[in-house]
Amino acid sequence: MTETLSNLALGFSIALSPPILFYAFLGCFVGTLVGVLPGVGPLAGISLLLPATFGLDATRAIVMLAGIYYGAMYGGSTTSILMRIPGEAASVMTCIDGYAMARKGRAGAALTIAAVGSYLAGSASVVGLMLLAPPLALFALRFGPPEYFALLMLGLLVLAYMSSGSMLKSLAMATLGLLLGMIGIDQMTGYFRYAYGVVELGDGIGVVPVAVGLFGLAEILATAGLATPPQVVKPKLRELLPTRQEWRESAWPIGRGTVLGFLIGIVPGSAHIIASFVSYAVERKLSKRPEEFGQGAVAGVAGPESANNSATSGAFVPMLALGVPSGPIPAVMLAAMMVHGVAPGPLLIKQQPELFWGFIASMYVGNVVLLILNLPLVGLFVNVLRVPYPILYPSIIAFCILGVYAVNGSVVDVWIMLLMGVLGYLLRKLGFETAPIVLGVVLAPMIEMALRQSLAMSDGQYSIFVSRPIAGTLLLIGLILIILGLKPLVTRGLDWRARLALAEKGQEQP
Amino acid sequence: MKKLLVLACFTLAAGVAATAFAQESYPSRPITIVAPFPPGGVADLTARPVAAAMEKVLKNPVGVVNKTGAAGAVGMQFVATSKPDGYTLLLALSSISIIPEADKLFGRPPAFTVDQFAPIALISADPTILVVPADKPWKTAADFIEDAKKRPGQISYSSSGVYGTLHMAMELLSHAAGVKLRHVPYAGAGPALTAILGGHVDALASGPAVVLPHIKAGKLRALAGWGDKRVAALPDVPTFKELGYPDAEFYIWAGVFAPRGTPEPVLAKLREALRASVNDGDFKAAMDKLETPVVFKQGDEFTKFFEADARRLAEGVRKVGKLETK
Repeated sequence: MTETLSNLALGFSIALSPPILFYAFLGCFVGTLVGVLPGVGPLAGISLLLPATFGLDATRAIVMLAGIYYGAMYGGSTTSILMRIPGEAASVMTCIDGYAMARKGRAGAALTIAAVGSYLAGSASVVGLMLLAPPLALFALRFGPPEYFALLMLGLLVLAYMSSGSMLKSLAMATLGLLLGMIGIDQMTGYFRYAYGVVELGDGIGVVPVAVGLFGLAEILATAGLATPPQVVKPKLRELLPTRQEWRESAWPIGRGTVLGFLIGIVPGSAHIIASFVSYAVERKLSKRPEEFGQGAVAGVAGPESANNSATSGAFVPMLALGVPSGPIPAVMLAAMMVHGVAPGPLLIKQQPELFWGFIASMYVGNVVLLILNLPLVGLFVNVLRVPYPILYPSIIAFCILGVYAVNGSVVDVWIMLLMGVLGYLLRKLGFETAPIVLGVVLAPMIEMALRQSLAMSDGQYSIFVSRPIAGTLLLIGLILIILGLKPLVTRGLDWRARLALAEKGQEQP
Repeated sequence: MKKLLVLACFTLAAGVAATAFAQESYPSRPITIVAPFPPGGVADLTARPVAAAMEKVLKNPVGVVNKTGAAGAVGMQFVATSKPDGYTLLLALSSISIIPEADKLFGRPPAFTVDQFAPIALISADPTILVVPADKPWKTAADFIEDAKKRPGQISYSSSGVYGTLHMAMELLSHAAGVKLRHVPYAGAGPALTAILGGHVDALASGPAVVLPHIKAGKLRALAGWGDKRVAALPDVPTFKELGYPDAEFYIWAGVFAPRGTPEPVLAKLREALRASVNDGDFKAAMDKLETPVVFKQGDEFTKFFEADARRLAEGVRKVGKLETK
């Protein structure tokens, strides 16, 4: 413990030195800008800006890249709340209640809660990273394909168990998403599936164009189709801060989101995207008034935002402790380290203590920087809502197209986004929720890959899913959830879902 | 109005003169090197120092653009169909010869063919090495192969993806040694490394740089290499060639290509520029940090290397054949 403290002191002496502080600030600032641009999420931001750090020394470069990473993560929530445009898949859930809050004139409160939630989650998970990195990383490595498959199945079950509204409609949308996720090269055999000769479809349909189209563009089309433009409640300056009640309602969701996000984040793979989805589902299940979700529940912003931020730190655990990339973003960071002559690996903490501890300390500093940077900006960002629609909407569309194009330099992605915008508009008119589509697109390739890798490992024996302790336990929890889900069928009691359906009916036919 | 007309004529004349001049002296505008993989990958990390060094040599801007997708096919197709004027170049890896062969295997119209490129120069070539978890019983490559013969299809290995470079390396070995191994493909070299470190597979063929730290930390053991010579950082690790498997030869290489039809004087200029670039101090330092040895070959020498490599890989792909799922 004392060793950890003295190491941390070393870390802070590095992180607080003016040049490092400057690069942490610069990273956060650039990251926030990148995140605010619709469609350009943390991965795109960090990839585009990686070459710019080649001239720096290793510690500065890593600190700056980490700043870009969580800056972009946070910046994504700004557009989600104000314009219903997810910066990346993880902010899809923030769109739903964050944007509903903005419609009610609580944009300032939503942004502040998101900033504070991200700050608390970020700081708490850095403590987790610092104290638990080596043992946790070894545990995370035990997650092979069977465990990953079990985890994803459990995630899906939690979502299905806790989703609201018509189960049939949600499942239909999730299935559509899963089908879209099947497009592209089959990772196990090399066959092209549903690509129709378009080479660009080989990598499948990207999550970003789908999310931006389904949420952002569809919203714009829907608003433009209204006979009378909706009255957005213009926020007054003194209403920027959350009320005491909003704080109280956010406290637990932030705490739960933090723990959940961190645990899901350390698992190698891209599962951290489901952290925000699961957090949203959990909060709705635990809420006393689940019917408020979707209508601007503050817990629906606080939980997922905290979860995706602590998942960010969680993803660094295997990267720093073992030199193992736990997702696409840590993989880019590892490459950055190699460019600077730092060999990432199990010996990093011993051989490069100033890099490791400087990085940890700079994450504390970065979180404070983000909070300082963003709280005053809340007032500024909220003004976006004052821009008249005829100017605001065309510029948003332009930024969406630019952002989506910039990620891969692909026109095909822009077409996908436009098509998804039209599809999202139609589905909204028909009363379907579109979030399950995004989830399906994200999960389909992961679930399929994990399932088939597991079977390749076991030479086709399905017993591999129950004979391995972690996978078996996860699937057992899933089975219990299914049984709990069947309970209302037997007891015939009105559960919250039925009450919610009744409440919605009441709204439609006053 | 008249003044305007005169001005327009002058501008036009100047424009024509500039174009004529450009045809005489290459390069006169920025050159783009397309890296068909995302930033941070081998292609990108090689392309950037190459571009920086070429910029110094040619005294002309040289930029890197990442055009990614479909395991590199998108970027390669883009360059294959670009104007052959020397302003769009490709930094390709070994997979350039695998993709068209796989397309052929599946009977689909190829995204591009190797004939669409003019090889300019080879920048680096790193042999893959065979690593196993340190807690496995195999101490030498002979132990490994002997055990694999006893238990066909039981020893598993991870790869960067089906028909990917790491898969091909392992397949060449399987055929050379007459063994059958169990293949578990992953989505990229990073996850393939995670899999072996987590003990989910028994072996991996990998570029030396990424596994060196894990070998030093005692987590992995290197058994043999696919190179012509031993890897400098691992002098005790033999090559498969020494062990009597000359067909198990494989390199992860990076080379610069232009679209076929680029005029010979332009190609000559690019070859010279690349020769000077690889001797640039900053370039050498950048490659040292990546622990990637610079292996420079140009002209006929590169063409010969490229063709031999393409032949080996094409045969490898054909031997693997179409994969059927169970």
